[in-house]
Formats: sequence, structure tokens, C-alpha cells
Amino acid sequence: MSSIAIATDGLTKEFHNGRGCRDVSIQVGKGEAFGFLGPNGAGKSTFVKMLVGLIAPTDGQGFILGEPIGSIEAKRSIGYLPELYRYQEWLTGEEVVRLHAQLCGMDRQVMKQRVPQVLEEVGIGLRGKDRVKHYSKGMQQRLGIACALINDPDIVFLDEPSSALDPIGRQEVRSLLAKLKAEGKTIFLNSHLLEDVEVICDRIALLNDGQILRSGHVSDVLQTKICWQLKVGGFSPFLLSWLRDTSGFQVTLMSQEADGTAWLEVVMEHEEQVGWFNTLIIGQGMTLYEVSRKKERLEKWFMSAVSGLSHRGER
Amino acid sequence: MMIIMGMTWKEMMRKRVMLLTLIMTVIFLIAFWFIAKTIGGIHLTSRFDPNSTEVLIDRFMRGSFILMLGFFFGAFVVAFLSIFSSFAVISGEAEQGVMQSLLPRPLPRWKWYLGRWLGYVTLGMLYALILFIAILLITNAQATIPKDPASLIKSFLLFASVVPLLITASMWGSGFFSAVGNGVFMTMLYGAGWLGGMIEKVSSTIRLDAALAQPLNNISGIMSLLMPADALQRKMLAELFSFKDLGGLMSSQNSPLGMFDMGQIPSSTFIMYTVIYTLVLFVWGMRRFGKKDF
Repeated sequence: MSSIAIATDGLTKEFHNGRGCRDVSIQVGKGEAFGFLGPNGAGKSTFVKMLVGLIAPTDGQGFILGEPIGSIEAKRSIGYLPELYRYQEWLTGEEVVRLHAQLCGMDRQVMKQRVPQVLEEVGIGLRGKDRVKHYSKGMQQRLGIACALINDPDIVFLDEPSSALDPIGRQEVRSLLAKLKAEGKTIFLNSHLLEDVEVICDRIALLNDGQILRSGHVSDVLQTKICWQLKVGGFSPFLLSWLRDTSGFQVTLMSQEADGTAWLEVVMEHEEQVGWFNTLIIGQGMTLYEVSRKKERLEKWFMSAVSGLSHRGER
Repeated sequence: MMIIMGMTWKEMMRKRVMLLTLIMTVIFLIAFWFIAKTIGGIHLTSRFDPNSTEVLIDRFMRGSFILMLGFFFGAFVVAFLSIFSSFAVISGEAEQGVMQSLLPRPLPRWKWYLGRWLGYVTLGMLYALILFIAILLITNAQATIPKDPASLIKSFLLFASVVPLLITASMWGSGFFSAVGNGVFMTMLYGAGWLGGMIEKVSSTIRLDAALAQPLNNISGIMSLLMPADALQRKMLAELFSFKDLGGLMSSQNSPLGMFDMGQIPSSTFIMYTVIYTLVLFVWGMRRFGKKDF
């Protein structure tokens, strides 16, 4: 059995206005969390819509668990939270979820248990009895997630799942995604919230102007260098060159106060070298107040990848 | 498919479309009762025997007028219920984002389309049946109506056939135009068909010169071909009054019914055309929906 959950080969959708996405080829393994990033208008949602069968590709092909995208077999194994959507306002939240369960062909008895369970899971609970028209945007987002999960799908496509949520809701969604990942679900996450992507995803791809610009493992992107930040007391500028020469590391003075307190940034080869570097500082009579590992943020990676490039959202 | 059909019924109930329609229908029927009573209460002079042929024909004529009046309104209500319940079914739901969450479910699109169509058509035809019976009962209480069961069934089927016709056209349009655009398109299309029928009635009533009548007939013919709903209603009335069997006792020409007159009665070929028209639009609309991007 193949270990590939999602595979596309040159998948393309070209709209008359020139938008869409071109020649996108990716592979997402089973149980993997894949982050799809890109500026506004890059074509991320178009790509996801092709995968879930809402849009027909103009070229290329794609498969979900070996089944052609858009086929009934492929749709059976997916859950999808669209970016822009609304549920039938004249239904209650519970009825909306039940409708989705029925459309998935769920057994009546299973549905009876599963609907309240999933409503509880996303934090709707008893408010499932209320009509959707009385729901806030955040509640509708939770309802959307409940619908995406009702059929216990193998693959979950989430297009901006936290966009309308408050910080608590955002945290809850993050926990929910972590739980799904732990359960072995494949997650395809389209999000502007790079913190979420950083925490949840194993691999990422960056789409710009409808084409994949970069892709890779999140750990590789975030671990390009080991960088430490140190707060020291009794610092003198002449000590900076001494530290550089003695350690051989790239040491940068970030800021210095009048009382001799300073922030240093040190880039080193191995994590364990930080202990030796600390002894050098203390040996020179300086006081070490704080040592912290500086992580390369995904946001920085994202910005450096797209800076200077034209992207369609700006047009 | 049954799930989608059930969802459509629930939508019509929850949005109170049916409730409002039924309330307005009751108000109309009350008004219609008084109108029918007034028209039915005008008696011929006492020089005629109540069982005479003259009185019988008079009661039948008045019954016909009341029925035509009732169905003139009834045709509009059934048509507008059909159009306004379904004109936003595809584009409107896509604009709102409802479609985006439902279509990725493992349900073939044709089943969704057919389920929606069946949902609207069954409710619309049920409403048409209630209205049809109510109009007949009120008229019967005040005058004489035709009571041939075959004619009644045929005329009901013709009366109610406007429902699938308009819903099919409306759903087809919804696959091409925006919700508002389709609402305007359908109203104007129905209006064009109705106007075609009116032109036909007027030209047959005022007996125009053949040279003048020809262009008018051409225009009204094209309008009826574009939207055959009004022609179906005329055929329905002709079936109801069994004009063929009356042997000219009550002619469709030169009748005193004015704008409620039925003008030219559409042929059976025209009814076949309407069936084909509906089928083509249905298949076209379904195929369009199957390939549409959301």
C-alpha cells in the first residue's frame, strides 16, 4: 500500500484573468502535516479547491489516496474547511453537521453518537441546538471544523482554520490539529498564521504567483543556524573582538546600555558549544544574566522568500 | 438525492416561503369567494325557467368567467413561487459559500441537482394542486363548473406543468447568471411569454386586418416559444372547459371575457415542444452544474 496521501503532477488551473496556479507538483505522505503558504492571491485556495473537487484542473493530474481528485472515492476520505463559506442559516448547527454526515453516507446509529461528540470537540456543545444565523463568525468557524471532521476523514484540508477565531479559539484549534496529527491524520493546512504552521506542520511549500517557489521540511527551514542571545553585565567594546578571536564564532553586539549591560548574538556550529562560550564570558569578569536560543522564525523565511518578487495580491 | 430533496423542503418551510405563500393564498381565496359570489349572484330575468338551457348556459358562462379570473391569478402565483424559490439555487448558494462546503462531499453533482429540482417541483406541484382544488370548489359553490374527471385531471396536469417548466428554466439560469441577474432574467422571460399570450388575445379579440395581424402573430409566437408558460395556461383552460366537445356553444373567439379570454389554443405539438424545451434545459442545466467551478 502506498504511503502517499496526496500527490499532484503538474496540476494547473488557469483562469481567464491570468490567475490560478500552474504546474504544481507535490507529494504529501500519510500522517504528514503539510503547510501551504503564500501571499494573498498566490493561488493557494485554487489549488486546494482542485484537490477537493470544487474546481476542475485545466492541466495535470492529482490523486487522493490513489484516487483521482474530484472522484467520489477521493471525496470519501477527505474533510474540508473552506476559506470563505457559510452554512444554511435556517438550520441549527447540529442539523448542519448531521446533513454533512448523511451526505457522507454515515449510518444513523453512528451519526447519533458522532454528531454531539464532534460538536463537543470543537467547542460548540449545546449551542448546536441554535440556528446558524445566531452564530458569531468564530462559532461558524468551529461549525466548519466540525463538518470537516464529522466523517472521521483520513485527510483534512483546512483553508485558514483560525482566521475568525479569538486567541483562545486559535489555541483550541491548534490543540485540535495537534490531536488530529497524533491520531495519524494527514493535514493539509493553508494558513497565514505562520505560528500555527510552525507548530503543526512537518513540511511546507511556498506558492507565489501560482507556482511553487520553495518547499522543504519545517525543521530545515527553522534550523539553518544555531543562534544564541546572551545578556551580559560589565561589557566593554574591546571584549567583543577578544570573544570573536578566541571562540572563532560570529559574535554580534546587538545593544549596549550605559551601565555596561549588553545583548550579544552568537552563531555557532553545535549546540553544546554554548557552555564553553559562557565560561569565556565569565572568565573575562563579565556577569551572565540570560542565555536563550534564538529560533529562526518561519515569518522571516517567508518574508525573505517573497521579498522583491511581484505577487498578484498587490495588483 | 433524497437528502438534498428533504433539505429543500426544510428550506422552504424554515424560510417561511410556503407559510407566506399559503397565508397570501388564503387572503386571495377569501377575496375570490366574494368576487365569485358577486358574479355568480347576477341572475337572468325571471322570464326564463330556472331549469332552462338559457339559464344553464348563463351559469356555465359565469362559472367560466370566475374560473378564468381565478386561474389568471393562480397562474401568476404558481409561476412566481416556482421562479423565486429556485432562482438563486446555484449562483446564490455559491455566492454565499454554501456550495463550497457541500460539494466536496461524496455525492455526485447530478444527484444534488436532481434532488434540488425534485424538492422544488414536488412542493410547487402540491401547492398548485391545493390552489387548483380551492378555485374549483369556490367557483362550483357560486356557479357551474365542468365536472368531467378526465378534463379536470388533464387541466390540473397542464396547470401544474408550469412548475417543472419554470423551475427547470430557473435552475438552468442559475448555473449561468448571478442570483439577482437570474431573478431579473426569469421574471422578464416569464413576462415575455405572458406578453406574447396577451398580444395573441388582443389580436384575436379586436379582429385585425390579416396584413397587420401577421407580424403580431409572429412576435407573440416567438415570445411563446421563448417561454411557453402562458400557452400552457391557455391549453389548461381549453381542457377544463372541453371546448372541442362544446361544439361552438362557447367559442374561444369573440368571447366577452376580455383580458381573461384565452385567445388561440395551443396545439398538442406545442405541448410536445414544451416537454422537449423542459428536458433540454434540464439536461443542459445539469451538465453545466456538473462542470461548474466553485
